[in-house]
Amino acid sequence: MLKTLSPRLANWSLLLCSFRPLFLATVLLAVVGVALWLGFLGFGIPLPGVPGGPLVWHAHEMLLGFGLAAVAGFVLTAVPEFTSTAAFGRQVGFGFLLLWLAARLSFWLSGVIGPWPAALFNSAFAIALVVLLTPRLLGDPLRRQYGFFGGLGALALVTVGFHVDAVAGQYPMRWLYAGIGVMMVLIVVAMSRISMRILNDAIQARRDAGHEVDEDYRARPPRRNLAIFCVSLFTLAEWLALPAPLNGWLALAAAAAMFNLLNDWHIGRALLERWSLMLYSVYWLMALGYGALGVSLLADGFASSAGRHLLTLGAMGVSILAVLCIAGRTHSGYALDQRRWVPIATCLLVLAALLRASAGLPGAPVPLLNMLAGLGWLTVFGLALRYMAPIWLRPRPDGGTGCEEPMDERSTGSGCRT
Amino acid sequence: MSLLRSWLTSLPSYLWSGWGALASLFLLLAAWEAVASHYGALVLPAPLETFSRLLQLIDEGAAWPELLATSRRALLGFALSVAVGSVLGLAAGVSMTASMMARPLVTVLMGMPPIAWLVLAMLWFGASDGTPVFTVFIASFPLVFVGALQGTRTLDNQLKDMALAFRLPRRMLLLDVYLPHVVSYLFPAWITALAMAWKIVVMAELLATQDGVGAALAVSRSHLDTSATMAWITAVVGLLLAVEYLLLEPIKREVERWREVPS
Repeated sequence: MLKTLSPRLANWSLLLCSFRPLFLATVLLAVVGVALWLGFLGFGIPLPGVPGGPLVWHAHEMLLGFGLAAVAGFVLTAVPEFTSTAAFGRQVGFGFLLLWLAARLSFWLSGVIGPWPAALFNSAFAIALVVLLTPRLLGDPLRRQYGFFGGLGALALVTVGFHVDAVAGQYPMRWLYAGIGVMMVLIVVAMSRISMRILNDAIQARRDAGHEVDEDYRARPPRRNLAIFCVSLFTLAEWLALPAPLNGWLALAAAAAMFNLLNDWHIGRALLERWSLMLYSVYWLMALGYGALGVSLLADGFASSAGRHLLTLGAMGVSILAVLCIAGRTHSGYALDQRRWVPIATCLLVLAALLRASAGLPGAPVPLLNMLAGLGWLTVFGLALRYMAPIWLRPRPDGGTGCEEPMDERSTGSGCRT
Repeated sequence: MSLLRSWLTSLPSYLWSGWGALASLFLLLAAWEAVASHYGALVLPAPLETFSRLLQLIDEGAAWPELLATSRRALLGFALSVAVGSVLGLAAGVSMTASMMARPLVTVLMGMPPIAWLVLAMLWFGASDGTPVFTVFIASFPLVFVGALQGTRTLDNQLKDMALAFRLPRRMLLLDVYLPHVVSYLFPAWITALAMAWKIVVMAELLATQDGVGAALAVSRSHLDTSATMAWITAVVGLLLAVEYLLLEPIKREVERWREVPS
C-alpha cells in the first residue's frame, strides 16, 4: 500500500519498524508538551483550549499522547516477538503515526472544532491497537498474553471514557487518573518481560567476570499478580470515587505490593549495573508514588499531585526512557548504549520526579519546584532526542530491514555520528 | 554464634519480605474502612479513629499496664504448655503404646471448650492470675502435645539405622538427626499455641480479672465505647503479629532451613 502511495515513503528509514515513528513522536511530544506547560505555568502563555481546561490538556497529552505513543511503539514491536509471529509491515507504523498526529491536532484544536474529532481520532488510535493485537495476544493457547490484552483493553476504555465525558461536557479527569493506574499495570507487565533479560544478562556478565552468582533472576508471578491486583483495586476505587480513607488504604496496599515486588530484584551486585538499576528505580518510584497518594488521602495537608507525579513523571517517565534506550536501540540494530548520558538522564529524571513530588508538601515553594522538575524533564528528553532520534531516522548499521535485533555482533556503535 | 550471624545476614531480606504481609494488612484495613463507612462509628469506628484512640490510651499511660498484665499471663500459660506439652509429647511419641493411650486423652482435651475450662478455673483459682494462666495452659497444651508426638512418631528409622551404622556420636544423633525433624513439627505447633494463648487470655480476663486487656474490654463494652474496644483489640493483635513475625517466624525459618537443601 505504501509502495503504491510513494516508493520514497516506503523506503523511508523511519518506517523500517513500527516503533520508530512512534518513539520519535513520544520524544517530540515529551519535549513540546512540557515546554508548552512550563510556558503556561511560568509565563502565562495560553495553552490550546480543550474541554476541562489546561490541567486536563496537560494530563491528557502526557498520558494518552506521550504515554500511549510509547506503549503503541513498544507493543507493536514486542508482541510479535513475544508471540513468535511475523513483524508488522511498514504501513502499520505509518498508519498509527498518522492517526496519532490526527489525534493530537484534533485535541489541540478541540476548542475551535469541537470535541468530536478528538474523540474519534484518539479513540480510534487506542481501539485500533487492541483490534490489531488481540489475535496475536490471544491466538496461541500456549502463549496467551492476558496481561497485555487486559492493559491495552483498559487503556482503550479509558480513552473512550475520557472523550465520552468530554463530548458530554463533563469534567473528564477521573478517566485520566484511572489511566495512570492502567499505565502502571502495563509497566509491571512489560517490565516482567524486559527485566528477565536485562537482569539475567547482568548476572551472566558477572559470572563471565569470574564472580560466583548462585541463582538466576525470576520475575515470579505471585508477587507480580499481587501488585497488579492492588494497583487495579485502587484504580477502580478511585474511579468510583469511594471515600478518601478507603482509597488511601488501598493506595498504601499498592505501595506495599510494589515494594514486595522488589524482593525478586535483590540479586546482589548484578543489580548495580546501569540497566538493572534503571528498571529497579521504576518500581521504587511506583511504590513511593502510591505511598504518597495513600498518605495524601489519609492525612490532611499533602497534595495528591505529589504521588501522581511520582507515578507519571517518575515511574512512567523512567520506564519509557528505558524502553526507548533498550528496545529503541536493539531493534534498530545497535547494542545497548554504554555512554554516560543514559545514567545521567535517568538520575535527572528521578530527581525531577522527587522535586515535583516535594511540591506537594505543605509550605513548599510550588512554582520553583514545578519549574525545576519541568526543566529536568526537558533536559532528559532533549538528550533522548539528541541521542536516539538519529538512530530511528537512518538505516540500520547491520543491513537489517526490519525490527530484528542486531544481526552483526560487532554492532556496538554509539548510534551517533560524530 | 554462626546461627546468630546467619540470622543477622538474612534479616534485611526477611524484613523486606514483610512488604507482602503489609500489603495484605492494608487491604484488610481498606475492608475495615469500607464496613466502618457503611455502618458508622457507633458500630465500627474507622481504622484511623481506632489508631488515634490507641495512641491516646498509650499517652495517658493506660495501655502499657494492661498490655503487660495480659502479655505476662499469656506468655506464662504458653510457656507452661510448651514445656509440659513438648516433654510429654516427646515421651509419648517414643513408645507406640504410650502414643496409643494418649490419643483419646488428647481428643478429649481438644474437644473441651475453653470456656468450660475457664469456668472450672474460676472456681479453682478465683479472680487471680491463676485463672487466665491455667486456661491458656490447658487450651494450648494439646496442640503442643500433638505436635511433639507426631514429630517423634514420624522419625525416619532408616535414617536412625544409617546413623548407627556410621557410629554417629549420640550427641550428633540427637542434635543433627532427631532435633531438626522434631522441631519442624514442634515449631508450627508452638506458633499455633501462641495465637491460641493470646485469644484465650483475653477471654479469660474479660470474665475473671480486674486488670489486663480483657478487663479493659469489659469496661469499654459497658461504656458502649466502640473505639476503645477496637483500640484494645488492635493492640492485642498488633502484639501477636509482632511476636510471631519478628521473633518466632525468623527462628522457624532458621530451624527449617535444612528442608530447602536439595537432596
